[in-house]
Amino acid sequence: MTAYIKKECMELTRTGKLLILGIIFILFGILNPAMAKLTPWLYEMLQDSFSEQGLIIGEVTVNAMTSWTQYFKNATMVVITIILLCSTGFTNEYQKGTLVQIVTKGLSRRKIYFSKLLVGYATWTVMFLVYTGVTLGYTVYFWGDDKVPDLFYAILFFWIFGILLMSLLSMFGALSENSGQVLLGTGGIIFITILINYVPTISKYMPIKLMDGLQLCNGTAQVSDFSEALIITSIMIIACIIIGMVAFDKRRL
Amino acid sequence: MPDNKYILEIKNLEKSFGDKKVLKGVDLKIPQKRVFGFVGKNGAGKTTTMKMVLGLMTPNKGEIFVNGEKVTYGNNKTNRYIGYLPDVPEYYSFMTPREYLNFCGEITYMEKKDIRSRSEELLKLVGLGEEKHRIKGFSRGMKQRLGIAQALLNKPKLLICDEPTSALDPVGRKEILDILVAAKEETTILFSTHILSDVEHICDEMALLNDGKIIMQGTIEEVKNKRRGNAIEIQFENKKDTDKLLAIFKKKDSSSLETTSSGALVVKDQKIVPEILRFIGDNSIPFIRIEKQEATLEDIFIDAIQNK
Repeated sequence: MTAYIKKECMELTRTGKLLILGIIFILFGILNPAMAKLTPWLYEMLQDSFSEQGLIIGEVTVNAMTSWTQYFKNATMVVITIILLCSTGFTNEYQKGTLVQIVTKGLSRRKIYFSKLLVGYATWTVMFLVYTGVTLGYTVYFWGDDKVPDLFYAILFFWIFGILLMSLLSMFGALSENSGQVLLGTGGIIFITILINYVPTISKYMPIKLMDGLQLCNGTAQVSDFSEALIITSIMIIACIIIGMVAFDKRRL
Repeated sequence: MPDNKYILEIKNLEKSFGDKKVLKGVDLKIPQKRVFGFVGKNGAGKTTTMKMVLGLMTPNKGEIFVNGEKVTYGNNKTNRYIGYLPDVPEYYSFMTPREYLNFCGEITYMEKKDIRSRSEELLKLVGLGEEKHRIKGFSRGMKQRLGIAQALLNKPKLLICDEPTSALDPVGRKEILDILVAAKEETTILFSTHILSDVEHICDEMALLNDGKIIMQGTIEEVKNKRRGNAIEIQFENKKDTDKLLAIFKKKDSSSLETTSSGALVVKDQKIVPEILRFIGDNSIPFIRIEKQEATLEDIFIDAIQNK
């Protein structure tokens, strides 16, 4: 299994995927505090045109909270990027036929599946840490010890949602023939949870709620409000892992 | 219980894709240390059979034993005896040949030092010893040669090659055949092809798969003898001499003589050959050639497929 994980990591670095992801996520990370820092200046620039329209803008205060608000707003972009760039892990190998030689050498399919899953989790975790770390670094630098309540839980929930995404990508990777189907499947599931999320009575059960960490920071929700969504997400992650594993055992290579 | 005198034993193998029955009861036994040619036209079911041996497909009926152990679909334990070269081998193109072999060695739990020494030995054998570049820019021939190296890495008892020479130019083909002959020292080779001259060059035994069944199997000599006797063909300078001899000798033994389209006399019964030769000598009949009629595998192949 370590040999295959090593191969996966080599693939990430040598094909330049890791570099691309790294650059994108550093940029995303910088964007959050930068937007916050630039907001007063933007308002100042636009003040004249606003006042012509009769709008009067008072003193704009930006702080750490502004930066983290941006962080959660951009989380959607982060999620889309990671889905797009990590959707080909399985299907590339089917299309090229590279797994045939490996499986006929006796490497068990489970080991291949779990290696890919773990490398997926690791990739997400590293990218998440880059994105969060850069935002955190600049936010602390600009606004010092300006505390944001429950920030730890808010970003932890976002990370868990990412783990669900990687599990979905692996499951659809085991089920699909090409990356289009993987995207369609993963996107479809996310889209459905977003739709269901509009029904107020069951929205608290939806995994997509984990993306609403901002509610924790601005005090409109409490950590305990997320417990249902957390349970459902955990069940979904486990279900994805099991379905993907069984499907990968059976699939034709 | 199948004994492991045979490295590969296939019993009554059947496989359909939808309505199409590709294999209709294939039986095959391959003894150790042979080069075995698996012949059949395109679409005869050669690749399907091989994929089932490797546990990449499930048969509808029948059993396969490798080294006396039953083959199962999915996580196939018997694959540890097998080295496989697919028709178009594919690699992780971001690796160098050495890295790829190292990766293959690691997943089969070979010792580090064995991987290194065996890799060097094999890369030299397949002529990639000096290759330092990544697999990305490799030609088909180079990929095929690397394919043999990866297949032989953990000293398999059975090397399965799926049409290893079909896509190559004559030089590449010869290289692969030479490597296979060299590999014969240490393993049994099952090699599918529709290029019959390749079979004649390097195989000890062969089986002909047609219409989902093995219609012929044996050593190359046996197969050749089965189809044609040891007939003697005599080409005369004048066509009328053929007719003359035909008239004279047909009276004695009508069934053993015939003529070919080019007007040569074919003597099927060896016993009357001396008599005919004496007659030619006595009458000073001018002739162009006298030769033993050799069936080529092409003839046999075409005959067999048409007479099914």
